[in-house]
Amino acid sequence: MTKDFEPTIVAFLCKWCSSAGSDLAGVSRMKYPPNVIPITVMCSGSVSPLYIFNAFQKGADGVLVSGCHPGDCHYIKGNFYARRRIALVKELLDFIGLESERFKMSWVSAAEGTKYTEIIKDFVKELKPLGPQKKLRRDQ
Amino acid sequence: MVEMEQLQKEAKEILKQGKVKFVIGYSKGSQNLTATPVFIKKPEHTSRLIWDPTCVQNLVKFIVDDKQKQSREKKPDERPVGIVVKGCDSRAINVLIQEKFIDRDDVYILGLSCEELGVVDEKKIAQKLEGKKIEKIEFAKKNNLIVSTKDGEKKIPVKDVLADRCLECKAHFPVIYDQLFGEETEREVKEPYKSIKKTESQSPKKRWDFWKEQLEKCIRCYACRSICPMCYCDECVADSINMAVTAETTAEEKAQKIKWIERSPALSENIGYHLIRAIHLAGRCIDCGECERACPVDIPLRLLNKKLEKAAHELFDYDVGFDHKKPSLISSFKDEDPEDFIR
Amino acid sequence: MEKILTKKEFPSWIKNLKSFNVYGPVKKDALWEYERIQDPDKLDLNFKNTVLSPKKIIFPQREVILDFNHKKKGKPEIQEALPEETKNVIFGVRPCDARALTLTDKVFEEEPGDKYYLRRRHQTVTVGLTCSDPPSENCFCTSLGGSPHSTEGLDILMTELNHKYYVHSFTDKGRELMKAASDVFKNPSEKDKKDLKQVHKESEKKIKRQVKELSKITDKLKGMFDSPFWDEESMSCLKCGICTYLCPTCHCFDISDEVLSSSPLKGQRVRTWDTCQFPYFTMHSSGHNPRPDKSSRLRQRILHKFSYFVDNYDDYQCTGCGRCISKCPVDIDIIEVLEKVKDYE
Repeated sequence: MTKDFEPTIVAFLCKWCSSAGSDLAGVSRMKYPPNVIPITVMCSGSVSPLYIFNAFQKGADGVLVSGCHPGDCHYIKGNFYARRRIALVKELLDFIGLESERFKMSWVSAAEGTKYTEIIKDFVKELKPLGPQKKLRRDQ
Repeated sequence: MVEMEQLQKEAKEILKQGKVKFVIGYSKGSQNLTATPVFIKKPEHTSRLIWDPTCVQNLVKFIVDDKQKQSREKKPDERPVGIVVKGCDSRAINVLIQEKFIDRDDVYILGLSCEELGVVDEKKIAQKLEGKKIEKIEFAKKNNLIVSTKDGEKKIPVKDVLADRCLECKAHFPVIYDQLFGEETEREVKEPYKSIKKTESQSPKKRWDFWKEQLEKCIRCYACRSICPMCYCDECVADSINMAVTAETTAEEKAQKIKWIERSPALSENIGYHLIRAIHLAGRCIDCGECERACPVDIPLRLLNKKLEKAAHELFDYDVGFDHKKPSLISSFKDEDPEDFIR
Repeated sequence: MEKILTKKEFPSWIKNLKSFNVYGPVKKDALWEYERIQDPDKLDLNFKNTVLSPKKIIFPQREVILDFNHKKKGKPEIQEALPEETKNVIFGVRPCDARALTLTDKVFEEEPGDKYYLRRRHQTVTVGLTCSDPPSENCFCTSLGGSPHSTEGLDILMTELNHKYYVHSFTDKGRELMKAASDVFKNPSEKDKKDLKQVHKESEKKIKRQVKELSKITDKLKGMFDSPFWDEESMSCLKCGICTYLCPTCHCFDISDEVLSSSPLKGQRVRTWDTCQFPYFTMHSSGHNPRPDKSSRLRQRILHKFSYFVDNYDDYQCTGCGRCISKCPVDIDIIEVLEKVKDYE
């Protein structure tokens, strides 16, 4: 059963770096698993914890938040705020017993198409053995 | 020792002088065991004020209430409100000032030091009495409670029934005040995060099973939100009607409006609500434990907040409510913030 | 039918009720709640007041009204979702909570009748338990025309007599339930009947709290709508929903659509509890809120229970279970409020 399981990943990608990075992966015809539902946001700092909880509630098996490298933020410091906030969300989700593998954060610049594909490949590989995320899911 | 007479005298004085519009304090409860909030407007009523380990409530919520009421009034009385606070409650005031919800001048703080004690936990008292009904509780000399049941009086040392939060309290005296009553005695806290230790050490599966069982009980009465002095938003995401409905809003738009959480007390919705509550209190919760005390179905809500308090302390060296001039936890950052979890 | 059942035999009665879903008070940590029971030993009849009353079984906090499914290029499919046809029995119902059901009956039986509530109500047998010792220090049922051994709203009343129960059924539903295991019941002796009377008489004396002259209070409340009294009394109110959610007689609800998928549009229309203590309960779509503050909401709770309900149904909408007093985080005491109304001005 778990062998055939294809996880769904919701990825919040910042418009200026990570989303452009994923575009680069696309136009460069790099191969990576099609399990991601990308959602472009203006900045990783604009990702409310609500978005993350809601993605899990609506059936995401994994959630990724990705922004510019520290110092590269289009809004100067949005990703620094994100770094703090996401760390807290991670602690909280871990504390209630959600597998910590299901929630990730990354820095992907507009030039790092390869890094983006690597991140997704590894994420899918890690999620597969965990099976579907049912803990926070709404329609169970 | 906090002298009750001194507290009453000071309250009387500030009311007489018209320095404050009213004083919020504790008075003897009617039927329940703990003290009850009291709002004193006349100097001659200040003798109703009490102070003992049954004064569990965090009265800062009523400052929030008053502020919100003022915003609706055309000609509000802008004099400060006098308020009796413990150490933990005083830090709540600090957070409110830090977040610019109130000004320092909005409150006249009568700070009380818990000294070597704290406040009691009703559940622990009930446990001690093995289900016997309590008819009366009185605070006696030498830090004992005299509890009367049908089998007579029983002496219980306050130390044995202190609330968990008091056992883990880092600041048992007010950090901000206009008048201080009692001593700023030091006390050692061996394990400031003892209550979450057990849950933390368990496997993710065990932790999940624990929270599943606890959060399934939630009946969404929102007492935890209502009692929290930090929950002052005019609209809460949990209510999910935060969409401007105009004459032009179509039925479809209304149907498609974002609803973060449903009203149903289903597990997924309960978890959604409590996660949001916890994360919104990160770096703001001062651990007064009121959410847990108010919960009618005994969900250990404090643990969620404590976990984030610990994370703020360990990851970002941030302690809540000690300095209202500092920026708040999530409106600030440091270059050296940990990022080992980020790829 | 009046019979005697020993405590030892009690589980075998439950075991014989195979065609029923059995509910009863179960202890979890420090609290009791009514829950579905598979193992009769889990049932704990030596219980203090449960947090929620058995209202939660008859009128659940979440009830699906209908399922909807709208595929593109088709008519929307709508399926009514009436409660399953089952036979339920609730053991250990407190007389006050049973009386409360007769009050919610009045509301839900009004034309055209609430199918969901009524079906659950009719297919549920209520087995009461006399409160020989008041289950809460805030019990005041005797002030509202009830008693610790009242039979209103019950099919069967059990009264504990040392190591046995005196089981009295007054309806067909109740008699049927006893016949399901007729061999475990014995006929009561004259002494048992005498003991029963004694226990009932004593149980009334043990109720400590009371409200006197309620009719006077009801009259007085009529002129107090605009009184500053409510501002004073509600000063410490937190606007949470504990008092109303735990109340066995409160019955307000909200209806909302829970969308599970937007394409195809699929989901459920559900009814969930709501309470007059929440700000959005009375919020109009214009943004106007006729009950904008806590004083108007406390007023609503008291007036509904002791004035409007009396006008509409000739009864108080309170049975004196004391839950709202015991569980209020800021000690708002309905008995005290009523007493103050009486002495006001």
